[in-house]
Amino acid sequence: MQKRELTGQPHPQCFFSEFPAESDWDAVIIGAGPNGLMTAAYLARAGLKVALVERRYEVGGGLATEEILFPGYYSNIHAIYHLMVDYMPVVKDFELDRHGLVWIKPNLQTAMVFEDGGSLLLTRMIEDTADSFHKFSHKDAVAFGKLMRTWRRIVSEILAPATYIPAMSPIDISVAMQRTDIGNEMLELVEQSPLEVINKNFENDRIRALLLYVSCMWGLDPRETGIGFYVPLLLDRGMNKCYLHGGSHKLAGALAREIVRAGGTILESSDVTKINMNNGHVSGIELMEGRTLNSEVVISSLDPHTTFLDLLGAEHMPADLKDSVEGWKYDKWSYNTLHVLSEEAPHYACGDSWVDESFMTIIGFESTDQLLAHWDNVVAGKVDDNSLGGHCTCESFFDSHLVRKPGRHVSFFQMHAPYDIEGGWDKRGPELKEAILSKWQKVAPNMKRENIAMTSQETPVDIEIRFPNMRRGSIKHGDYRPVQLGCFRPNQDCSNHDTPIKGLYLCGASTYPGGLVLGGSGYLAANRVSEDLGVTKWWKPTKEMEQYTKTYLE
Amino acid sequence: MSKEERYDIVIIGAGHNGTTTAAYLAKCGLSVCLLEERPECGGSQETTEPIAGVRIQPHAIANYGGSAPGWDQLEMWRYGFRMDWKAGAYVPLDLNRYMLTTDGLSKVTDVDKMGWGKICGMLTEPMFFKDLMRATFWCPPHPPQVELNEHTIPFMQVYKQHQPDMWTRELLEMTMFDLMDEYLETEPFKVNQAYIALVSGAHGHMEGGAIPALCSVATVLPPAVAMPVAPRGNIHGYYHALLRCAIAHGTVVRTCCPVEEIIIEHGRAVGVRLRDDATQGPKKIWADKAVISAVHIKPTFLEMIGPRHLDNGFLQRIKDLSLKGGSLYMAHFLTRERLHVRPKYQKDDYKYEDYGSFTGPFYPMDSRQLYFEHVTEVLGHQRSLTIPPERAMYGMVASENYAECHPQCTRPGLHINGPLFMLVPTPQYNVDGIEAMEDKAKWDEYMRVALSQVVDNIDSDNLVQIFSDGPWDQEFRNTGMMGGSWYGIRCDRDQWWNERPLPELARYRVPDIEGLYLSHQSSAHPGGLCLMAVGYNLMHILIEDGIAEPGDWWYASPWYIPEEGKISAIPRRPASAATQ
Repeated sequence: MQKRELTGQPHPQCFFSEFPAESDWDAVIIGAGPNGLMTAAYLARAGLKVALVERRYEVGGGLATEEILFPGYYSNIHAIYHLMVDYMPVVKDFELDRHGLVWIKPNLQTAMVFEDGGSLLLTRMIEDTADSFHKFSHKDAVAFGKLMRTWRRIVSEILAPATYIPAMSPIDISVAMQRTDIGNEMLELVEQSPLEVINKNFENDRIRALLLYVSCMWGLDPRETGIGFYVPLLLDRGMNKCYLHGGSHKLAGALAREIVRAGGTILESSDVTKINMNNGHVSGIELMEGRTLNSEVVISSLDPHTTFLDLLGAEHMPADLKDSVEGWKYDKWSYNTLHVLSEEAPHYACGDSWVDESFMTIIGFESTDQLLAHWDNVVAGKVDDNSLGGHCTCESFFDSHLVRKPGRHVSFFQMHAPYDIEGGWDKRGPELKEAILSKWQKVAPNMKRENIAMTSQETPVDIEIRFPNMRRGSIKHGDYRPVQLGCFRPNQDCSNHDTPIKGLYLCGASTYPGGLVLGGSGYLAANRVSEDLGVTKWWKPTKEMEQYTKTYLE
Repeated sequence: MSKEERYDIVIIGAGHNGTTTAAYLAKCGLSVCLLEERPECGGSQETTEPIAGVRIQPHAIANYGGSAPGWDQLEMWRYGFRMDWKAGAYVPLDLNRYMLTTDGLSKVTDVDKMGWGKICGMLTEPMFFKDLMRATFWCPPHPPQVELNEHTIPFMQVYKQHQPDMWTRELLEMTMFDLMDEYLETEPFKVNQAYIALVSGAHGHMEGGAIPALCSVATVLPPAVAMPVAPRGNIHGYYHALLRCAIAHGTVVRTCCPVEEIIIEHGRAVGVRLRDDATQGPKKIWADKAVISAVHIKPTFLEMIGPRHLDNGFLQRIKDLSLKGGSLYMAHFLTRERLHVRPKYQKDDYKYEDYGSFTGPFYPMDSRQLYFEHVTEVLGHQRSLTIPPERAMYGMVASENYAECHPQCTRPGLHINGPLFMLVPTPQYNVDGIEAMEDKAKWDEYMRVALSQVVDNIDSDNLVQIFSDGPWDQEFRNTGMMGGSWYGIRCDRDQWWNERPLPELARYRVPDIEGLYLSHQSSAHPGGLCLMAVGYNLMHILIEDGIAEPGDWWYASPWYIPEEGKISAIPRRPASAATQ
């Protein structure tokens, strides 16, 4: 297809020109969340003429640092813990530190505090964690140190690099993993549930609760078998979370600049209403305002329902793809987050004063039973106001740029919560807010009402209103269950980021390897599109990926 | 991280003017570093979503810059710029067909419309409207040697050429009211236009301000811009296009990088030192050709440079620059039902639905007596408004005014209305945002009562929440809006054009400091509004000084007068190419 040069279109009622009603592109990417941004950035620098369209007024999707404690204070309203900074190819490929990105990785990553003043710590450095475990169980402290040394290897040698390598079938994975001892250890974990993995290795109930929380907090069913390998991954990454100085949105801003610098175009406030088809091949998209962007490559970062059923239309899909999309399951739970502006940073009433410096602090859970009961409740659409719990972070403790007045602090409490809550969010939202503030004050007495200047609560319904393709408040665009993971994410036809529809690609969290700002789906989609179009890749795999490929795939 | 960074140009402040300047200079091929203290660029051109699905505009709302050379020079369309507009709303001469007064609607007469059309340059063939706007905003002040009079002042030259019957010396002495008295008929229409001027920066009652005030109103109406005046993505969408133009031409952007000091060596600005809490630490960033301050003039001289390099007489004059008159209280009303205009503000031939269910009026436009009551309180250093809210003047943008394909509220069952904007006293002190919040409930109620004069359902049943942004908040959020003054320093005759901010600084240079230039609304002609004007005007000066060498895309202002002994900013090519 002969592509026309982009030209300005005179505005019929003004003196100036506008972006044209119709334009031609090599690739159009729908959705400027982290994955859409990454795909667009790789492809733009590869020389393709790309347009990235975004429904909101700002790029970033969940990478949002915004003024919801209005006016004057910034909160990271969605993504804040960047789990994969150590491994994301995008960091190295775009030398993101050139853009002033500075990630902070506190040693004290997670604390868990109890009503009796006890506390447990999970730190970047293993021995600091073991020190806190010793207070409860010498056996567990020793076991942790030993286990983490193996699990770290499972993560750094296998799970982390595999995040950025196309999905494999379970059989291929088994065969490949058998090549090494560490691979075999990983395979043993696969068969188990997170709860089994943790209970088998640790005896103390509170230690189990901490490890279970950190392993499953992003939406793993603790009793589901077949996902046990996520325990080392999420524990290790839970010990290496990073905070982006200036707020999560800075990552989005840096990637957007890369796209523009490479000649790409970004259009915000651009709701896509349709993916156009021509002779069985994708031919572009339509925007709500009436503009058309023509392209034989359309890459969607949206959830499967939106991409296939709403924008493409069932008539363009093979029946089995339609069935699989209709059977897609959204996250088993969503999140309810209370952002607060307070006069002081939370000061926890526990024996260990280091807790105040923790990046994340888990409150409200005294036992694994209570934790499991909370999750069971959530899955059943309920929250017990008296036994809820969650995790807190005081963002401004690490980042003075979020608050205009020194001394004040922005923090949040986040809990697992059902999208369909018994009683409805209109009623339960305000009640939960009160329950959360009481709970918080119980463990951190200075979080009393007089010290709290403003609050802003984001319920699962709010998440969906703000980011409509996080359907039902699904932050990962779809549940992590074995049939929706690996090469089954979102289904076997589409997990390698192409689809049965010619020219249509997927790059979002509903594709392998999933959500949580892994930087995986966007990277893999860019690889896939480059390969299909015969575009020379300007980037190379990371050394961890090369080593993994050499060990397991060659 | 500690690696030394060096650029041709370092610009402090990524608000509208800093970014325009960056775009122009990067397009000239210069290496540019744009530094911003906040996590996000854009200054007051921001859009926020304080609760999910509800979009508000805390400050800048409208596209005032329709006549700017920047649209084509910077090719804003290329970076995704779009307006939202409604075909039915294109009515350059009778947009406000009725004015809202306490007694009801007041008809705008044909005399009003034709008078307004005439003084704005819409009745000649061809129109001289765009020339008038460009002469007023998009031309750097003349060199000091040039005598300013009816033959040399750019907008006077435009009248002289296109509408000689209007061209009299008195135009330079008049207030906007004087001018309107001569050409328009009804008092409410005159008050309405004067109030728009007031909230647009150039006061309708100041002597000698007639034409700048007139232009401040005309520039936000058709034919300069489509109705409604909001760009797609709101004013932040416009800003994105500007920033991306700068980036596409190579500008390096650094956020969370507040500047502590402008480094001056041997009388020359050579770079900046960042503050300790900058993301990259207190490092120095060097500028080989120029440091451009696109932050407020007061911190520029009083804090970043200071008495080590400047004498106290000069610093006192900087301290004395007036911040008054630029504070707007911005209030958005989140409601369950759409707002209903009271019956007395409805008329069969006044179809609100042409514009949206509630167009957002200026109220009460009865008489200039009300105008002066309000202005007197605001400019007279009152900390509060003592006039009853029923008599306070305000304007309002209704969100229904946005195109249907550009919803401002996607939260089911709710409507966002506003902002309502009212001129309020400027705090000349640092009030903390939170402490001021107690005060805020009182202000919010004041605004609600003011609005309820026109709307009959803004009561507690209907009202869900008010999001308001007072001058205190604005100062805290945008250091460029000191004292909550959105145009930096007052735009009166003593601080405008060749005297903005001070006569010796009016050509964007700093006499005793080589390599330092000013590019902020508070420090440069023409001041505030999102015009892409300061950057364009500064270009003339940077060309004169041999710093910028633009390509064929550049054209200078036809009214620009080069400074003797400098390089002329007028490109050496046929004059026809320079007057498009």
